[in-house]
Amino acid sequence: MKNKLTGGITTVAALAAALFLLQAPADSQAPAGKAPDAKAPAKGGGKGKGKARPTGPTPRTADGKVDFSGIWNGGGPVGDVGQGLIAGEEISLTPWGKKIMDSRQSKDDPEANCLPTGIPRIAPYPWRVLQTSTHIFYLFEGNIHSFRQIFIDGRKHQADPDPTWYGDSIGSWDGDTLVVDTIGFNDKFWFDFRGHPHSEQLHTIERIARPDLGTLDIETQIIDPVAYTKPFKIKFQATLRPGEELMEYICQENQQDAHHLVGPAGLP
Amino acid sequence: MRAKVLVLAATLSVLMTVPVLAHHSFGSEYDEKKPLKFENVTVTKLEWTNPHARFYVDVKDAKGVVTNWNFELASPNVLKRNGWTKNTLKEGDKVTVMGTAAKDGARLGHAQTVIGADGKRLFAGSNTADGN
Repeated sequence: MKNKLTGGITTVAALAAALFLLQAPADSQAPAGKAPDAKAPAKGGGKGKGKARPTGPTPRTADGKVDFSGIWNGGGPVGDVGQGLIAGEEISLTPWGKKIMDSRQSKDDPEANCLPTGIPRIAPYPWRVLQTSTHIFYLFEGNIHSFRQIFIDGRKHQADPDPTWYGDSIGSWDGDTLVVDTIGFNDKFWFDFRGHPHSEQLHTIERIARPDLGTLDIETQIIDPVAYTKPFKIKFQATLRPGEELMEYICQENQQDAHHLVGPAGLP
Repeated sequence: MRAKVLVLAATLSVLMTVPVLAHHSFGSEYDEKKPLKFENVTVTKLEWTNPHARFYVDVKDAKGVVTNWNFELASPNVLKRNGWTKNTLKEGDKVTVMGTAAKDGARLGHAQTVIGADGKRLFAGSNTADGN
């Protein structure tokens, strides 16, 4: 039995590397913004196994509200929060924020270490929305089997919430758009592989819309005067995955990657 | 010449593939400038686990020294959504695997293409941009 180890085909590898860098981000993190300074998101990529976005009218609950229920893919940044910048917006770090971001090493990315994504980051795995008249739950297949809850029963924020990964989220309706206001974050999660930081003063305002059956638009304003000199808005789009079911995904089971990640945060 | 062009094109088609987004940065763990190809190697173990399924192969170098390599696949969920089962790869199977080597020099690779002994090409978690 003859085994061959082939490596170091310099020309091919260099060309492949160039092509690799030109590849599109996955559909699952498709940004919806059109910022001129954001990396232009190409469509498709890969071999085209992505499923077509379902079409149809926006579903509604019995009381006429938009129904966000379903299994979704994407809807937030994975590699770079800047890919979702809305036109005219910019990410401007404070000296504190820049110091934190510059110091980050890829091996320390909480998501690589099987910790939650926080907001606005999304893991590249399906997630389900469960909606009642008083609560909305996001059930995540990954990055850890966890959930996020949004109270839509009219309550106010907790007076002094403990800092948590998903914060204290309250939602209200602006026509067909759900406006979700979240405070009470911890400062542990990163916004993306690049390591965009935040502090416990992070405040997010999400505007969530379902313009048709298969599309969930999530526009998020990031407000954090400790990490950013001014607020900025991003927009990402999730795609409905009809017929899917969530599967078990226990990230901590056999996590080996973090030990092999090298260099500063920043690569896709 | 034609054959060489075809080989080059085939190689490029493998190397051009986009890794499925994972819970970690691909570029921080693997070096796309270090392609790996092991032909007709024996699977010594399959780990049907999260966050990645993994298989291990024994590889014999030119001097006859055998080393064991660890290849990362997509998560079992991504693989199942693309037709795999926990029995698709088994200990003792002969496979050809093409992928990318780890940056840190470990005997670790990211599998991009796995070809079974029957010549069937298996989705490895890297040849689609939307593998979930």
